[in-house]
Amino acid sequence: MTAADPVVTARVPSVLSQNSRRASGNTAPGRKRRKWSRTAIAGLLFVAPAALYLIIFQLAPVLYGLVLSFTRYSPISRLGPQPVGFANYSALFTNGAFGNALLVTGRYVLQVLPLTVIIALALALLVNRPFRGVGFFRSALYVPHIVSLTAVSLVWLWIYSQNGLINDVLHTIGLPSQAWLLGPATALNAASAMRIWKALGSNMVLLLAGLQSIPGELYEAARVDGANRWQLFRYVTLPGLRPMLTYVVVMDIIFLAQGFAEIYVLTKGGPLSSTTTVNYLIYTQAFQYNQLGAASAMAFVLFALIIGFSFLSLRGIAGRQR
Amino acid sequence: MAVITNRRTRIGLIAASVAVAAGLVLSGCSGASTSPSKDAGGRSLTVWFPGNNETEIKLVEKKIVPAFEKKTGATVQVTYVDWGDISTKLNSAFAAGTAPDVFGHGPAAAADFVSNGRLSSLDSHLKDLSDADRKDLAAALPGGRVDGKQYLMPLSNQGSLIMYDAAAFTSAGLDPDKPPTTWPALLTAAKKLTERDSSGQITRSGLLLPSQDIGRQQTFATLLAGAGGSQLNASGSKILWDSAAGTKALSYFASLYDAKDGVSSSLGQDYSNAPVNQQPILLGTAATAMMSSTSMEQVIAAGSGRDLRVMAPLSFPGNKAAALEGAGPGLMINADSKEQALAWKFISYFIDSKVNSEYTQGIGAIPLRASAAQTSAVKNDPILQAFLKAAPNGISNPNVPSWVQVRDIVDKHLEQALHETVSPKEALQQAATEALPVLQANG
Repeated sequence: MTAADPVVTARVPSVLSQNSRRASGNTAPGRKRRKWSRTAIAGLLFVAPAALYLIIFQLAPVLYGLVLSFTRYSPISRLGPQPVGFANYSALFTNGAFGNALLVTGRYVLQVLPLTVIIALALALLVNRPFRGVGFFRSALYVPHIVSLTAVSLVWLWIYSQNGLINDVLHTIGLPSQAWLLGPATALNAASAMRIWKALGSNMVLLLAGLQSIPGELYEAARVDGANRWQLFRYVTLPGLRPMLTYVVVMDIIFLAQGFAEIYVLTKGGPLSSTTTVNYLIYTQAFQYNQLGAASAMAFVLFALIIGFSFLSLRGIAGRQR
Repeated sequence: MAVITNRRTRIGLIAASVAVAAGLVLSGCSGASTSPSKDAGGRSLTVWFPGNNETEIKLVEKKIVPAFEKKTGATVQVTYVDWGDISTKLNSAFAAGTAPDVFGHGPAAAADFVSNGRLSSLDSHLKDLSDADRKDLAAALPGGRVDGKQYLMPLSNQGSLIMYDAAAFTSAGLDPDKPPTTWPALLTAAKKLTERDSSGQITRSGLLLPSQDIGRQQTFATLLAGAGGSQLNASGSKILWDSAAGTKALSYFASLYDAKDGVSSSLGQDYSNAPVNQQPILLGTAATAMMSSTSMEQVIAAGSGRDLRVMAPLSFPGNKAAALEGAGPGLMINADSKEQALAWKFISYFIDSKVNSEYTQGIGAIPLRASAAQTSAVKNDPILQAFLKAAPNGISNPNVPSWVQVRDIVDKHLEQALHETVSPKEALQQAATEALPVLQANG
């Protein structure tokens, strides 16, 4: 590209231009301009639908949400958003319900994440070897992941109910039934148990893929060096699994910190707000109490926290990039 | 692809491709919208009803609405939305500009919509009714008024009373012909009616009052009125629930779940909205339970042969008996609807004496029209008779802006008192402190 060609310089990315020039092998200035333009237009045509989708349905709502977080806005009001500066954010510091929701969300993530990763890893190790019916076993464990979270939550609502499966089993063995979702001490644990069951399948499949990507030669070399089973796991499997483990942990943090559907179906945030996650609180603030500005501020604080914890997890598990 | 040599053609092609892409995206938008498609040939109306009562849904969707469509030639798209979701879905729909032409809700929700200019006044339509009609509806209309104007047209009257199992009374040594007339007397009877297993767990509740979200606030309102108190002052500007009467009412409510000598199991469990075959009084897991007339009718129909009766409204000694009873859910017209006339036609069809009788009898609701109480169907119905007799003792939730949020604040603090994390007095005071700014901001 030359300084004598300002129009093309402004319109076509330099890397794209250089690539097409290399591909054509033609260096005549007039010919170059036509080739670049055709490539650029073709690229634009291919990219435009996806780019428009991203801009309209992904970026624009997020940016609008950010703008709303600095306003007071009721969805049923005809006034539209009224600017209030940082008032929504400063109000969060004294908002007891938000503080409680952060604690509940944190507890929920901490209750579900370690167990689901450890059990999924154990299952992945188990199915990472040939035995009769391994295909069925893998599929059966993956099924919960492909069923909608809302549908699964409805099934578990019955399992936990007064006359549900668990209480029936307890009754059969002579134990008193429990109000699993009605007690402040048990409700979040019950929701966590359901979420662990739900997340196991996908985590297992991802970790299984990670296990199968570890070269067999590494195990052979370690065995030759006299490594026992624990040492094989500790010094070959875990380091080899680290990239996938990082992905699983970070994605789990992102999904769990946004827990909503299961809470909505199982407990509606109760009893005593013991299962009110930040996302559930955002929902009630926005659509029950018509405070979209305050709800948007909560959403962006949650967003920042998720980014922060995901980054910490990345650094903690994957280590610093060298 | 053809080689593009002309710059203008290039620009045109880019513009066209962007337009096509935008068109595709926007067509996706319109496809996903909840906005109803208007009939090209005739007029159409979207209507949202609250609730999930199967009997009502069948009656409305299969009988009443088709008859209206046949009579008017209009198309009506009916959607039933669970009570717990109706406010949130309506708010979202108003924000998105896709709210229905006509929608149903409880009278207490009307003030919020009115203060935001979302409802059409029904006053001009009511003037067109005959004098006889207005007189017949007179008792129900005030429940749908906000600031002196009619915005909501109740479709029925509703209320809650205590249903009791006469056989359980007899076996507990109580006289089913002389049921308790005060809340303390009912608690004493409930202690005799409560059954426990060897571990001490309640297997049959002596008394069940709604204690789930929203339900516990309604229970408290009933007990509070029976103790001589009220939630707000007449203008809705002052909180009164944190009174001695409030503490008495909430202490009573909390005592039902006392670990040692409580009479109710499953604090927080929602039996009010459970299907008929899961109603505790039908299952034998409760001897007495506060229920709506609709639930009672369905339980009676399902439990043939059972001697189930209804108590008169109760009070605390020295006070007037009270029951949550009055205008039930009603229909409102979206101020932005382009089908204002058709919307009113739909509402007026529902309050027509014949149609409304069919509706209220079909769902077991208390009749809307005074004249309906004189029909043989109602006269021979002991459940409806009990509710009609209780009507003078009826109380209802205040109809003030932000009531839904205030109600939820009260509900949250009531829950804490029921779980004994705070005392009843503290809970009511905390609720008042938290709710006052909400009332003042929107009042």
